[in-house]
Amino acid sequence: MIICINKKMKKPNYMADFMTNPFNLSFPEIEERSRRIRKNIIRMNSRAGAGHTGADLSETDILATLYFHILRYRVDDLNNSDRDRFILSKGHGVGGYYCTLAEAGILNESLLDDYLKKDSHTPGHPVRQKTPGIEFNTGALGHGFSVSVGLALAAKKSRRDYITYVLLGDGELEEGSNWEAAMSAAHFKLDNLVAIVDRNGLQLGDRTEDIMSLEPLSDKFKSFGFEVTAANGNNPEELAMAIKSTLTRSGKPHVIIANTIKGKGVSFIEDKPKWHHKVPVGDEVYSAIKELGKK
Amino acid sequence: MKEEIRDSFVKELQEIKKSNDQLIVLVSDSTSTCRINPFLLENPDSVVNVGIAEQNMIGIAAGLSLGGFIPVTANAACFLLGRSNEQVKVDICYAQTNVKLVGLNPGFAYGSLGPTHHSLDDISTILAFGGIDIFVPSDPEETRQITKYAINKDGPVYIRLDSFSAENIHGDSYSFQPGKSVVLREGADITLIALGTMIHEVLAAEEELKKTGIQADILSVPSIRPLDPEVIIRSLKKTGSVITLEEHSTHGGLGSIVGDIILENQLTCGIKKIGVPAGEFAEASPRSDLKEYYNLHKEGIIKSTLDFLNR
Repeated sequence: MIICINKKMKKPNYMADFMTNPFNLSFPEIEERSRRIRKNIIRMNSRAGAGHTGADLSETDILATLYFHILRYRVDDLNNSDRDRFILSKGHGVGGYYCTLAEAGILNESLLDDYLKKDSHTPGHPVRQKTPGIEFNTGALGHGFSVSVGLALAAKKSRRDYITYVLLGDGELEEGSNWEAAMSAAHFKLDNLVAIVDRNGLQLGDRTEDIMSLEPLSDKFKSFGFEVTAANGNNPEELAMAIKSTLTRSGKPHVIIANTIKGKGVSFIEDKPKWHHKVPVGDEVYSAIKELGKK
Repeated sequence: MKEEIRDSFVKELQEIKKSNDQLIVLVSDSTSTCRINPFLLENPDSVVNVGIAEQNMIGIAAGLSLGGFIPVTANAACFLLGRSNEQVKVDICYAQTNVKLVGLNPGFAYGSLGPTHHSLDDISTILAFGGIDIFVPSDPEETRQITKYAINKDGPVYIRLDSFSAENIHGDSYSFQPGKSVVLREGADITLIALGTMIHEVLAAEEELKKTGIQADILSVPSIRPLDPEVIIRSLKKTGSVITLEEHSTHGGLGSIVGDIILENQLTCGIKKIGVPAGEFAEASPRSDLKEYYNLHKEGIIKSTLDFLNR
């Protein structure tokens, strides 16, 4: 594993015997991290000439909230068995994932330059054998939820208190395997499992509701036995409040419907289906970075 | 004494569980298929039944392995590699999770239930995936040894496990070696190579073949991957002709593997592949009738051998 903490990073703080979030940043600080992550996404994708820009920008605030406020882990001990687990089921959002890991000092920022290059540590979908901090290989949709059920079940069976978080794309929920996972999460009473749906309303081809209706999504999860909370997925404070509300142990698994804007932060990318896997070029890069530079 | 090799598998799991608390078994409503009840009674918290949801079973197994367990999945081979094909490829093989997949009742073991339940493509499918070992036991002792090896090994394993009552065909000193094929009889006229429990039919045919003056080299291939071809090459060089026998498509199974060995080593060796011909489904018929139809029974093996050698 390659672990390199960026020198410019604010160093993580660890309490001696407890697994905590190593940063525990305030919400304005998380928003600032999100802006930096988004700029890196724009730079990285335009440099690579490929990537899922819309998906990366959609999930940024969710990832920043998790890595800088919620997840309990140690940057210097990524395999600690008591760490919270995070699975990016929507594996095509790997660009946002890498940039978040780099921002947290888990991934050397120079590896972002190698995105999509031959034999790089930053390939086009997450690979746990290749990249520090990546928990699981995803990219084929509809896998991460079941894997997360297994992780949460392992915690229950071995009486450990780590929490498993999984980020699902909304279009991804069209894969039936997710509903097998949902059924089993409720059956096994996995209240230590938090599924977050990046509900931006778009998928590769068009709007989710035009291609295959997901609504009423909350009711679907409720009927499967989940505790469901809706939140603005582009607002770290609201999102963090929603996630913290899941820490109660009710015997039910949790879903956060994180309402997001695909392409968030760059006006000409926002909410446009064509930006699912389009990358900025030329003046678009300049415009995007300039816009993200605004407070 | 005969023993159902699924029972041999479960007995070994019971034994391993005594000293390995991380072992956990997953079934997809396939409790009876894998005859797991003796293990379940002793270890009720170590069997996870996910219901009829094979994709979910494989994903959960991968997650349990990330959480420190050694998951063993046990369900019908047809559903394992049919329904959860992508989960096996990605969650197990690509992600290199420490999961052991046991595909039960392969070939046309389900006979009259038909092609929905036949598994004639599991070897060819999983051979095309990277990063997973493939074992096919043929008798109770070999089943126990392969089960033990698979669980002790760190990494993905597929075991093709038949529903078959058999006596041990290996001697008391037999020790399963990954990669090694096993010479069960020695002869110079022809090589007969069988997959899994098919070896019992070949051994049954041997006595009759002897009476016709044919001495056969008889090989079993319990380790499909890894596979050291040395034992097979030595036999093919000696006999110059080989018949492969398998309850599997002749495309991508044992026959294809032996054919590749002949080609890659530039051997002068005739080959006849006996199985379900590529591009065909086996009909919904009793297993014994299907074995007879495809010459995968004693009489068929004798006839095929005589025909192949122009006797």
